[in-house]
Amino acid sequence: MRRGTRLGVGERRSVVLGVGILAWLVALIWIFPVAWTLLTSFKTEQDAATQTLHQGLSFARYHDIAHSTPGTLSLQTAFMNSLVVVLVSTLIVLLLALPAAYALAIRPVHKWRDVLFFFISTKFLPVVASIFPIYVYAEKWNLIGTRTILIVLYIAINLPLAIWMTRSFFMEVPRELIEAAEIDGTSILNQLRSVILPIAAPGIAATALLCVIFAWNEYFYALQLNFASGSTMPQWVITNVSTRGNFLAKLSAASIVACLPVILAGWAAQKRMIRGLSMGALK
Amino acid sequence: MTAAAADVALKGRVGDPFSSAWRRRLPLLPALVYSIAITQLPFLVSIYYSFTNLKDKTQSLIPEPTKFIGIDNYKQIFSDPFFRQAVWTSVQMTVLAVVLSLVFGTMFALLLDRKFLGQGLVRTLLITPFLLMPVVAALIWKQQMFSSLFGLLDKALTFLGLSSVQFISSHPLASIVTVLVWQWTPFMMLIILAGLQSQPGDVLESANVDGASSLGIFRQLTLPHLRRYLELGALLGSIFIVQAFDAIDVMTGGGPGSTNIPYYVYQESIGGGFRYGSASAYAIVVVVFSIIIATFALRVLSSLFKDEERV
Amino acid sequence: MASVQYDDATRLYPGTTRPAVNKLELTIDDGELLVLVGPSGSGKSTALRMLAGLEPLDDGRILIGGKDVSRIAPRGRDIAMVFQNYALYPNLDVAQNMGFALKQQGVAKEERARRVQEVAQLLDLEPYLDRKPRNLSGGQRQRVAMGRAIVRHPQVYLMDEPLSNLDAKLRVQTRAELVELQRRLAVTTVYVTHDQVEAMTMGHRVAVLRDGDLQQVDPPSKLYHEPANLFVAGFIGSPAMNLLPVSVDHSVKLAGADIRIGGLDGGGRGTLGFRPETVIIGADGPIAARIRLVEDLGSEVFVHLVIEHEGEERRLVAKVDPPFSGKVDDNVRLTLRGTVHLFDAAEARRATVTL
Repeated sequence: MRRGTRLGVGERRSVVLGVGILAWLVALIWIFPVAWTLLTSFKTEQDAATQTLHQGLSFARYHDIAHSTPGTLSLQTAFMNSLVVVLVSTLIVLLLALPAAYALAIRPVHKWRDVLFFFISTKFLPVVASIFPIYVYAEKWNLIGTRTILIVLYIAINLPLAIWMTRSFFMEVPRELIEAAEIDGTSILNQLRSVILPIAAPGIAATALLCVIFAWNEYFYALQLNFASGSTMPQWVITNVSTRGNFLAKLSAASIVACLPVILAGWAAQKRMIRGLSMGALK
Repeated sequence: MTAAAADVALKGRVGDPFSSAWRRRLPLLPALVYSIAITQLPFLVSIYYSFTNLKDKTQSLIPEPTKFIGIDNYKQIFSDPFFRQAVWTSVQMTVLAVVLSLVFGTMFALLLDRKFLGQGLVRTLLITPFLLMPVVAALIWKQQMFSSLFGLLDKALTFLGLSSVQFISSHPLASIVTVLVWQWTPFMMLIILAGLQSQPGDVLESANVDGASSLGIFRQLTLPHLRRYLELGALLGSIFIVQAFDAIDVMTGGGPGSTNIPYYVYQESIGGGFRYGSASAYAIVVVVFSIIIATFALRVLSSLFKDEERV
Repeated sequence: MASVQYDDATRLYPGTTRPAVNKLELTIDDGELLVLVGPSGSGKSTALRMLAGLEPLDDGRILIGGKDVSRIAPRGRDIAMVFQNYALYPNLDVAQNMGFALKQQGVAKEERARRVQEVAQLLDLEPYLDRKPRNLSGGQRQRVAMGRAIVRHPQVYLMDEPLSNLDAKLRVQTRAELVELQRRLAVTTVYVTHDQVEAMTMGHRVAVLRDGDLQQVDPPSKLYHEPANLFVAGFIGSPAMNLLPVSVDHSVKLAGADIRIGGLDGGGRGTLGFRPETVIIGADGPIAARIRLVEDLGSEVFVHLVIEHEGEERRLVAKVDPPFSGKVDDNVRLTLRGTVHLFDAAEARRATVTL
């Protein structure tokens, strides 16, 4: 007797194989710009400029960017700034969004639709429009160039999405479990901890990941409200752009380093993200 | 029922300030207050500025005192051809980017819906562009792909014997849309993939037994099921893509074919014009229109909010 | 209308060592209702899905109407299937659900509507024709699933536990309607269930499966009175047959009493089986027992007893006609009267006597 077959009835092995190959081709083409940039980051500047490979590969460019000339923004400073800003803002976003989602999903307020719409509508105002009033007040309160102002703004940016997604995940919690907890007289905090969070955990992880992605990659507010020692990673990448474009390899290395944390986080959490999305972010 | 719970129920009936309605609202308040404070206050200040001729005094040769000018800023908007250009560019950019990334995203999701060797790795590779910084993505395309000096696409064209193309300068809008689609397709793909995998397996089996072809199943059952997900992708994608800024700043720095509304407002205010009063007016107009469009769209896309009422 | 044949059909899931369905040999006659019954994991659903074409064969063949369909996809087999959770098309209304297969075949709109109307009338679904599945009750959805299959006039109906999601009363009622319908339409039907009561009341014949192997296929009465092995004996019938380990010499001793049953040469161990209705409770008889529990269902009484057999306490169930005056902890005497089976150490039935 043969080994068990994986093909369905009437399925041709060639078709299944073909789909797999097509998927691989598509993925390789799609990732090509990133792959090429990675390759370039190991080249010498001469090779990079002419898109050739005569002078071999090395980590030299990475060494360059890790040891910046004194007086310019260093990788380490920018990295720390980004790290603190992203982690603190995401944490606070979750602290605000979880109770809010509770109030929109588990024991909803009467006007939950309007409230949701309000939160989404906060994203209609172009960031570019509110920048001037924000700058004026930030300057008044000595917040220019600090991590604080960015944290405050990133929380506001990510809150609508976090609330929307967390609410959807809370809606997935079976009604009976919540009713049982209410009958037991459990406080909201304990309800969250023992009943709701364990079930919604993958979704909350997905939400947190998205907040991290958006906060880490944010460029505009950082550009307008930061300078020198307060800068974050996106700004640091831009400092590696020279107008003559002769430093393509160095820029490639900088790009890879800047994006690596989020890429790794995204890769690690993608299963959770997909599971979170299919669990009911889409209600 | 515990004493505490009975207490609450009783208080609810008496209309106490700690009644059930307020207990429900309480968890919502921190987020709500924060959001209002950080987003609405600048908005209100912007409204105020929009009625003035506020400018950065250090930038102009003849300093003007800031004064209240009523709706002059607004009147000027509707006769501004550059603004109309920016609106049209915004519409084109957003529609093209959203539609194309939805189409590609759906195709990729269909490919990923079946098991094959290395499926997880393929998915990992496909979502990577979404994780990149928008500025980095724009830089990669600007320098590595499109650039007429170093660009790969250019080298490929000359290799094939075709003439070189100045991608970014001759086709600014297409260049920017390319980067946007490259980055946002994975996002759409994940949403559509979730939709595909939420289809109950036995319904698809039943359709097979009932004689439907694969294409027939997709057309009659899968697409209608995906409608909610497509709508969600379009809505979320539009909200983010309409705000696109980084790619424009990096690739074209503005310019007639590639300036969308946010960039135009930026140019009007701290991006060079320093005319904060008038920039604010533009922003307000945009917000009002966005709210109108969104309200209309959400009414049409009622499937998103068609939830059972929770008591 | 067609016959169905499983010819050494086998399914081995990749990565497992034991086949889910192991060389199944089964022939179902045209117009017959055959029930596949067994505990979970017995392979009954897998066997049904192999017939549907939803599971591939790793060995053997499946024939419908004499034609080998083993490699043909479900859509090409001219079968209709009722799923356990009904699998109704959520975005289509009842009429469109029922007409779906006809539409795939290219049947014209008017003809489709006519046939759908006909079946809707038959199943009392006319008021619901334009409703979507989410607005139907469980019982209504079940009827739509049935209607969807009936409208097609296929060669074979396949049913995968179609009644298990209905509440008890509705289940009994629908069961009777289903049997009546099948007899009237006379279409070959393969029906899967884990409920042996359904199996016994519905099938022309019943096939008992265990761990992928076919144990016995016979009309219900033969399964009841002439089980082929210990498993079938214990599975069919409720309450279950009383089964007790015994030593076989020239006679068999049960709780010290002699049971005259031959059939095992050379002695050894075996199992004695007798149904509750063969246990007679009285003031005298060869077996001593104590009453543990009395279940009075009104039309019949089940008495749970304890006897001492081979040095251990063993439980028995007796079925008695009312009225029954015994109480818990009463000491009584038992006599066996009726069919008694003896199973050998390999669990096959070797001897049957009527006492």
